[in-house]
Amino acid sequence: MPKRVMIVDDNEYVRLSVEIICESVELELASAASGEECLRQLEAGFSGVILMDIMMPEMDGWDTIRQIVARGLYPGNVIVMLTGMGEPDAKMDGVQEYVTDYLTKPFGPDQLIESLQYYLSLLQGGGDGDE
Amino acid sequence: MSRTSLVMIGVSTGGPPTLKELFGALPALDAAFVIVLHITPEMDYRIAQGLDQVASMPVTLARHGEYLRPGHVYLAPGGVHLKLEGNQKVVLCKGARVNYVAPSVDVAMQSLTRPLWGKLVGIVLTGMGKDGAEGLRHLKSLGGLTMAQDQKSSVIYGMPKAALQTGAVDLVLPPRGIADKLVKLFPPLPVPLSKAT
Repeated sequence: MPKRVMIVDDNEYVRLSVEIICESVELELASAASGEECLRQLEAGFSGVILMDIMMPEMDGWDTIRQIVARGLYPGNVIVMLTGMGEPDAKMDGVQEYVTDYLTKPFGPDQLIESLQYYLSLLQGGGDGDE
Repeated sequence: MSRTSLVMIGVSTGGPPTLKELFGALPALDAAFVIVLHITPEMDYRIAQGLDQVASMPVTLARHGEYLRPGHVYLAPGGVHLKLEGNQKVVLCKGARVNYVAPSVDVAMQSLTRPLWGKLVGIVLTGMGKDGAEGLRHLKSLGGLTMAQDQKSSVIYGMPKAALQTGAVDLVLPPRGIADKLVKLFPPLPVPLSKAT
């Protein structure tokens, strides 16, 4: 089963850092430089853990999540927000249930790997949830 | 009337790793644990299953109509509110979002009533917003013990801060400190058969 991760960040350095970290533990990485690109990849069938930057030009992380939900693209994914801000953002109101975790930049490789592996294990081992 | 003690936990963003740390440090205890995590129906079962793997007590999604049992952990399902009838029977109900969320921690905590037959503990952990603050205040008014996660260990110090600002929080602790306190409050139970290896 593929262990898939998508990094959504307009900062190329962050995308590259995540790519190097994922490669080191053989996680398959998709890279998106904008919210729109993230949506395109989800519509093309991506499923996995989405690392979402908050501050992006045009469509920020919160608006991207709203679009993910509105277009029915959320099921099968876990969203982890990436932020350099120390304080919570009021724009999160109404979408916090779709945000499973929060990583503050700069994050260490071990911290990122631990989070990714945990959420991937939830996605791969959780069945369909129907009881 | 049940004498089951109850621990009700409200948590949001950053919840899964924090709950993992808390329940990974807890032995089976003589209390029922109810977790209200802001989560979607798509993820609730997976989160419960992930937590069950690290907890000494069985973790399941709360089911409508079931009675809480000591030594068990119940996760509120996504998309509906959870209430407790008589502080022990699970009621799942659809309804408008409260504090932008369903399930809402405030709704769950404010469903608790007197009389209390066992101990009652309310805890608010990491999360965005203020959900749980009024619930914790209510729980305190019933005679319960209240705790909030400390700022340093919180992924998002929104909900614990709002709870603290009500003046109804007895203890401010990191997850490990909360676990230590719970161990002192409740006697241990034998590890359930389903968890025995």
